[in-house]
Amino acid sequence: MGFAKRKRRMAQSADVTPARARLLFDRLELNYDFGPEHPLQAQRLAALIDLLESSGLWNQADRQATLPTRAATQAELELVHTPEYIDAVKQLSVRVNSEQLSAEEMHKREHLALDYGFAEGDTPPLPGMHEVAALIAGSSLVGLSAIMGLPEGGAFADETERPLHVFHPGGGLHHAWPARASGFCVYNDAAVAIAHVLRASEAKVLYIDFDAHHGDGVQKAFYDEPRVMTISLHETGRYLFPGTGDVLEMGQGLGRGYSVNVPLQPFTEDDSYIEVMEAIIAPLVVSFAPDVLVTVHGCDTHAWDPLTHLSLTMRGIQAQIRLAHQLAHSYCQGRWLALGGGGYDLYRVVPRAWGLVWAEMSEQSVPEQLPEAWVNRWRPAWLKVREQEAEEQKAMGIQVSSGHFPLTFADRREDFQPQPRRWEISHTNRQTAALARHLLLSSSIRQAFRRPRRVSPMTGLVDLLHLRGSDTPSRSTLLETAKGPVLLRDFCPPSMVERLRADAGLHAFARLPEREWQLLLNIAKSPDCALTLAHTPAGEIVGQVTLAPGDEWWEGLDNVYEVAIEVSSNWRGLHLAHHLLAFALELDALEDMILFAVGLAWHWDTEGLGMSMYRYRELITHLFATQGFVEYPTNEPNVRMEPANVFLARIGKRVDARASSRFLSRVMSTPNLARL
Amino acid sequence: MIVKEIMTTELITVAPDDTLGHAANLLRQYQFHHLPVVRGGNGAATWHWPREKREPLIFEGLLTSQDIDMAVALERENGGPAAGQEPWQSRRVVEVMHRALIRVTPSTTVAAAALLLVERNLNCLPVIQYETAEPLVQAAGGSASEAGAESASRPSEGWQESRPLLVGLLTRSDLLTALARSLGVFEPGMQLVIPLRHGNMHPLARALTLADELRIGVRSVVAAPLQGIFPRAATLRLGTINPAPLLLRLQEEGIAYSFVDQEV
Repeated sequence: MGFAKRKRRMAQSADVTPARARLLFDRLELNYDFGPEHPLQAQRLAALIDLLESSGLWNQADRQATLPTRAATQAELELVHTPEYIDAVKQLSVRVNSEQLSAEEMHKREHLALDYGFAEGDTPPLPGMHEVAALIAGSSLVGLSAIMGLPEGGAFADETERPLHVFHPGGGLHHAWPARASGFCVYNDAAVAIAHVLRASEAKVLYIDFDAHHGDGVQKAFYDEPRVMTISLHETGRYLFPGTGDVLEMGQGLGRGYSVNVPLQPFTEDDSYIEVMEAIIAPLVVSFAPDVLVTVHGCDTHAWDPLTHLSLTMRGIQAQIRLAHQLAHSYCQGRWLALGGGGYDLYRVVPRAWGLVWAEMSEQSVPEQLPEAWVNRWRPAWLKVREQEAEEQKAMGIQVSSGHFPLTFADRREDFQPQPRRWEISHTNRQTAALARHLLLSSSIRQAFRRPRRVSPMTGLVDLLHLRGSDTPSRSTLLETAKGPVLLRDFCPPSMVERLRADAGLHAFARLPEREWQLLLNIAKSPDCALTLAHTPAGEIVGQVTLAPGDEWWEGLDNVYEVAIEVSSNWRGLHLAHHLLAFALELDALEDMILFAVGLAWHWDTEGLGMSMYRYRELITHLFATQGFVEYPTNEPNVRMEPANVFLARIGKRVDARASSRFLSRVMSTPNLARL
Repeated sequence: MIVKEIMTTELITVAPDDTLGHAANLLRQYQFHHLPVVRGGNGAATWHWPREKREPLIFEGLLTSQDIDMAVALERENGGPAAGQEPWQSRRVVEVMHRALIRVTPSTTVAAAALLLVERNLNCLPVIQYETAEPLVQAAGGSASEAGAESASRPSEGWQESRPLLVGLLTRSDLLTALARSLGVFEPGMQLVIPLRHGNMHPLARALTLADELRIGVRSVVAAPLQGIFPRAATLRLGTINPAPLLLRLQEEGIAYSFVDQEV
């Protein structure tokens, strides 16, 4: 709709939907229902739609608030699923009368069910399930295509009509495997939609899974695909379905580093969840530089959910949704597909949680109170299942939650007892996040998104080098190169970085020079990092060295610093790296410090340089050797992952023997991941 | 469980006349420590060939990285190759390999093979099937009749004797994989622990019956005497996202359960 028209509509009523967000819902999706005894019931969607309509957030009749959807075609499903599986689903969806079937036919059906994951109670064969599951997959595909401007998303009069955000609450069936139904999921709509975008465009897709269960199906579908980064925050699979989702599941082959898992402790609460989420997601997004965001908003993370042990409230769920929205706008030009997912407190949690997703997406504010009429309609449904829900929660080991029906969108604090082991739980979660950061973030990204350190400030770089005191100005020197003069300057303050800009070839970590510049600015702002820059007189940054305290892996060791170096791809072959490194390490306290550098083959631009990984490794070793760095064998898991990786360290002459032996024993220690 | 179900069949092999340098390269390239030495076969790495195209591998022995280390160390200690001997890289595999006389067959139980590995502290067992002359001729068709003609022309080779054919290798990592599979870790599922007092299996039996009634998939059941003589707990891997119905029934029947292994 045109701007003037929208303005007029805005004036008419307050509950108008901005044109660029759509919500996909089809009555037929209510047929994705495994019966009254089953935890997943389509009634939750009905309750959601009713809530949206009765609070004036969305109206199904408004064509500008939705998109026409269709079922996914056989070819589209085959992007993820095997033809045999699709065939089996089709056969099992046919409604049959067991008395009319011959024994042989019955036997055949039982076999099909057994082979493709329909034999058990979780995902029983459902008449018509192929049609409805294909419709769900198709809706997600249409939604994502519309966002990406692909023809499958439909035609729009002009670019401003094209939706930026789409919410498909019926989607998010993230457990389905290529040839097996699993965990209530038949067709993996998220994977189908993403696979379609991969095929039809050059886009890179970021997938974030907030469901309390690990998003195993989607991870599996793109485990070796570097164009899809999957991030899943979930309750640890040690006890909970599906049992996977360890931090060390990081992808394989080219896709290594593009599967991210953050397993959280049972009974994790809002504060710990938000802390971990913020520590891990934003830096990963910067390093991945996606074109579009796909999120799964399973709200079984809520404390009232009967199937899991996470203890979030609406505050934590709201934080997930806000973060997703913000990431979409900061990094993906707003392109964002949100999907539903799990959520088994059907009436008290699901409608409110997903109502918040839609409100956030369409930039509307939710009323404080839930509409009275809505409460009156749905409270009885909850009352009917209330006792059974309480029993089930008790059986799962969850403290039985407050027995009332919420009357407000937000949760009331007094309805949630604080968890007795809160400190222990958040401590463990913090360590899980630290391990994920250590393994999955390159050093510059990690420094730019530093976490507050817990080591004594006495050991910090600040005190050791008297860096930030007003009496230590940064040094600078002029270097003549074949490409012209370059200024080297150490301890760059943020104001310095602000006056400069990144050279077009400086994009090793954040992929775009502008974002690389933002990283450098963050590093300069960080109180315990030292940033050395090489820039042209015209103000273009062509190289940088970051000196920062070792991350959590080195916790407990004093004066251990990580060195990272980067030179613009346009300024190679001029010995700039050599001079820059030498300049950055001209420190009074150099001999009191233990410095190390980690070379990870997957960050190397070996293609751009036209050399093999091993040749490049030699180059790095040689570069650092000029500053007295020596290669050490190590058991650090990241370095060990690939033979071309290299660990270099320089132990200062004045470092006392005890400190250096502690450092070396950490370098060589068996990686006890439980320690972290 | 029998050896055939868990052994490695995609083998990288060397011939007796290959050089140690070649063998050392293979060990480094594939990052393992044992190379079966075989005659026959169509070359070093034929496991990706279609099965019917592969010639039978006649097992000669095993070459371990330790054997190579020893050859290198001896040479270094003597300050060079012994008189009349090539440098180690050019020496032949047959000079340093060992015969590996402890072998198993594909139908050996995994229990028996594991016992061998553990008691003798071995890392790897060759899996051998003894050939009998007639079936080979029949099974391999045309090419075998050529082989038959060849052996007839050289009666001294003793065609009637059955030759050891290498069909696989059982390594410690195969056992580890089998253990992981036994625990059901490769299947989506959740863990449920049922304590068994004094090794009494009744609670486990009831739990399994209930799971069957409720149509909850059981991916794996492990009740092993890790300490002492009796299993103290059974660990079930349930292929379900929704264990609540089973848990409720267990509670009704007074059967204890937990999600976490209790320290004994």
